[in-house]
Amino acid sequence: MRDNKALIYNLKNKDEAALSQLYDAYAPAIYGVILRICKDEQEAQNLLQDTFLTIWDKSHQYNPDKGRFYTWAYRIAKNKTLNFLRSKKTLIQTEDLSVYKDREDTVITDTKYLQLKGCLKQLEPHHQKALELVYFNGLTHREAHKEMNVPLGTFKSYIKQALKKLKLNYDKALVWLSILIEVIR
Amino acid sequence: MMNKAYILENGIIELYLLGELGAQEELALERLLAKDDDLKVHFKSIESNFEAMALDNAIAPPKIVKAHVLNSIRSTNNVMPLPTAPPLKRYLGIVASIAAILIVGSIWMYSQLNETKQQLKIAKDTNDLLLKDIIDLQENLKSATTWLDVLNSPNTKQYILKGNTLSPSARVVSYVNHEYKKVIINTVDLPKLDEAHDYQMWADVDGEMIDMGVINKNSQLVAMNYIEDAASLNITIEPSGGSDHPTVSRLITNIYL
Repeated sequence: MRDNKALIYNLKNKDEAALSQLYDAYAPAIYGVILRICKDEQEAQNLLQDTFLTIWDKSHQYNPDKGRFYTWAYRIAKNKTLNFLRSKKTLIQTEDLSVYKDREDTVITDTKYLQLKGCLKQLEPHHQKALELVYFNGLTHREAHKEMNVPLGTFKSYIKQALKKLKLNYDKALVWLSILIEVIR
Repeated sequence: MMNKAYILENGIIELYLLGELGAQEELALERLLAKDDDLKVHFKSIESNFEAMALDNAIAPPKIVKAHVLNSIRSTNNVMPLPTAPPLKRYLGIVASIAAILIVGSIWMYSQLNETKQQLKIAKDTNDLLLKDIIDLQENLKSATTWLDVLNSPNTKQYILKGNTLSPSARVVSYVNHEYKKVIINTVDLPKLDEAHDYQMWADVDGEMIDMGVINKNSQLVAMNYIEDAASLNITIEPSGGSDHPTVSRLITNIYL
């Protein structure tokens, strides 16, 4: 989509401008994921910053043959966020709540803000929910099927069907887009 | 066993993209993807759908986060070149520069010191000369004052010694003061003698000639030794430096007091 070989090349050569452009292109998408997983704006911003610093430091590890830049960045962000939530959970278990007292005001209680948009909205609710859980909430398939209260096999087929529909929708959008481009010409 | 059917059946690509696979499964899938173009197309389709879905649901983060990111990488970039320059070499360079400056400065200051010392010596010498001059002048002034006192005193008697046939043009004025016990003579009209001779003055006391001193050739007013109970003053020509006894044959003038 917006993958740009030159940009990635420059990023690997520690070009600040390349990082800046990649940030503009991908930070909102990644922030959307982080925020939906951790549901705390302050923490999400810290994690987003941390994610891009890792992208900068580890850019040599990214191999464009294995996948898109966004996929690599998404996986870094998701891992950081889940690790953060895990460490927070341990803290809460040891009853050291003081650390989080001042965070309460940034925690999102109004979930409308996080509601899903785009082609995802056109999916059937259970398909939508399945994708949301694994993609935007960072749950594993094993956690998600319990959350939805369906067997793992059923859950997997939800995901598969959801993706198929999604593909159709995006392809349709692409068709409309190409028609539009033709018309403009 | 990882194969195409298994991958499609179990949603392995989705799990891969979500980061839920173990390292071994990831490696196996990557290997298959590299070989199977059909599977690769399927992979790319899901991958781009995931990305499109995320872009659809993007939330703009506050601008400050980007500023933080760029500031952090700038500060780490600025710090990074430091270790590459060997600090020891750098410090040695600094130390060497300081040492060089100190050496050059010391040499300059040393030359300045020598120059100053020389100037000080010249000033001191000049000062010594001036001081000597002052002492001389003070002495001169003192003697001049004494002489003036003697000459001005109403008790001073003036005697004029006129030259005899040996030196007819000679004329010496002598001032005698018994109160101050001083004798001063004015030699302005005494004919010049050669280097080998001097005028010498004598006082006659009970028929014996007592030395009053050799007359200084270089000054007009000359103080002579005062002799008590002198009956007359006499001047003779003597070999240079004077004699113990007068050469009577070369007496040029005398006067009775």
